[in-house]
Amino acid sequence: MTTETRSVILGVAASDAHAVANHLIAGRLRYAGFAVENLGVCTPLEEFAEALERSPHSIAIVIGSLNGHAYEDLRSLPQLRAEGRLDRPVILGGNLSVGSRKSNESLELLRGLGVDVILDDPDKLPFVLDSLCRPQLVDAQ
Amino acid sequence: MKSLLLELESRAAPDLLTVTIDSHTRLKHFATAEATLARNPGHLNGYPLVAHGWGRGRELNESVKVPLEVRHGSPDARELLAVSLASGIASFEGGGISYNLPYAKDVPLQESLEAWRQVDSLCGVFAEHGVIVDREMFGTLTAVLVPPSISLAISVLEAVLAAREGVRCVSIAYPQGGEALQDIAALHSIPLLAERYLPESVETFSVLHQYMGVFPKGRSVADALILYGGLVGRIGGAAKIITKTNHEAYGIPDTRANVEGMRVTEAACSSFLDFVQVDQERVALERDWILCEVAELVEPLLACDDLVAAICRAFANGSLDVPFSASRHARSAVIPARDTRGAIRYRDCGSLPFSEATRKRQAQSLSGTNSDPDGLKVIESITADINYFAAHDVSKGEPLPQLLQEAS
Repeated sequence: MTTETRSVILGVAASDAHAVANHLIAGRLRYAGFAVENLGVCTPLEEFAEALERSPHSIAIVIGSLNGHAYEDLRSLPQLRAEGRLDRPVILGGNLSVGSRKSNESLELLRGLGVDVILDDPDKLPFVLDSLCRPQLVDAQ
Repeated sequence: MKSLLLELESRAAPDLLTVTIDSHTRLKHFATAEATLARNPGHLNGYPLVAHGWGRGRELNESVKVPLEVRHGSPDARELLAVSLASGIASFEGGGISYNLPYAKDVPLQESLEAWRQVDSLCGVFAEHGVIVDREMFGTLTAVLVPPSISLAISVLEAVLAAREGVRCVSIAYPQGGEALQDIAALHSIPLLAERYLPESVETFSVLHQYMGVFPKGRSVADALILYGGLVGRIGGAAKIITKTNHEAYGIPDTRANVEGMRVTEAACSSFLDFVQVDQERVALERDWILCEVAELVEPLLACDDLVAAICRAFANGSLDVPFSASRHARSAVIPARDTRGAIRYRDCGSLPFSEATRKRQAQSLSGTNSDPDGLKVIESITADINYFAAHDVSKGEPLPQLLQEAS
């Protein structure tokens, strides 16, 4: 039964109230055939974890962050994972650190927290999610 | 804030000035605002009026010759109103819908409407004592592709609620959408809507917010868009224009950019541009469409005994809606689109109670656009509509990631 429904949990990071891109990405994923539980703007990781506990068949957690505070907002990811929660690929995209030039360093810090996929283009999202539906994980880039 | 206002007053000579409140105060985190003010005032993104208190507020108000307006984004502005009034500031923006849905994730409309009922009621008490407070409705809403009839319908509902609490002066603010005839028509609708839905004792003014969507980065195009907004405001008969700056695409503007924005807008209102004329027949047609759509949205609600309950029900069932809401308490099932001229239409009316004639006209107005009714291209085309002006920049055709950084 769970093999046919491809559900994802979508939301914007805790300190971020950017709604437009969130609505567009939810729309894009729905057009691509995914069931989207959209938690909307300003969503702490705890709420993503609770949503996953409500919908355990979800294949991934998709988090947008546009205000440059991704690291602060995702800081509790290692702890949640250590507690056995948020046990799904976390896909992160947007504008991930303050300033107009992005360093590899800031992306490494996010990977260090346990972010599985960092996306520079929301167009790639359906393909990345498709790859998660296959037996083995495929690297996004 | 005082030096900013004084500099704007001396260099741009506007007719009034606005004070934007920081986001801690908007959320009633007054202690946080106070602590930040003490430790790190540079980290505040606006003026913490409640933390400063009415004494300093009054000092600020009296330091400039022109009236001040308080602008913010609070679902519950009761304390802020009290301090504003005690500071002698008699113009106050917001409403129980327009300062909830774009700004808060999970504040029930019932709560924000009750808080704003108390705001309006206090303004009503002041009016009885001869102090008229200008209550401005924030029709800009989510600021991205807001169809005129949604903006105006929500402002009408807020204005009716305010009038019932005794408010005597209402400003209806409309956001420049980007197509001149439609925007002028929307501004022309405002006095007609006031005549139709508000008591005679209420004085109504129309306000234009210059383009609030994704701004072009290039300075000359940004200035041109500001000039365009000024022209639309003047031809539309706006009593007030809230100006933008050519720094809009980059973040919070500095004083110089604000001065330039005001000066360019003032130039747009100069008589040497009187030659700019628009097709009045087309404007009247657009205006009639807008009036008809607003009637279809608000009249079923105004017929209910309990208007607040009717509004809450309407957002729950989608018969009132805003696109791209930050709040869970609006469905955002409505999907806007630009027609070939750039006017904002409804690609999807969601559950709005529009007549067959309105739906048909909306669909017809989008014929000839690249709308792809069943596919992935919907998102692409909304993105292009959002980037309408930014795409006129030197770097044509903004890629999506760029949009994601800018749209809010």
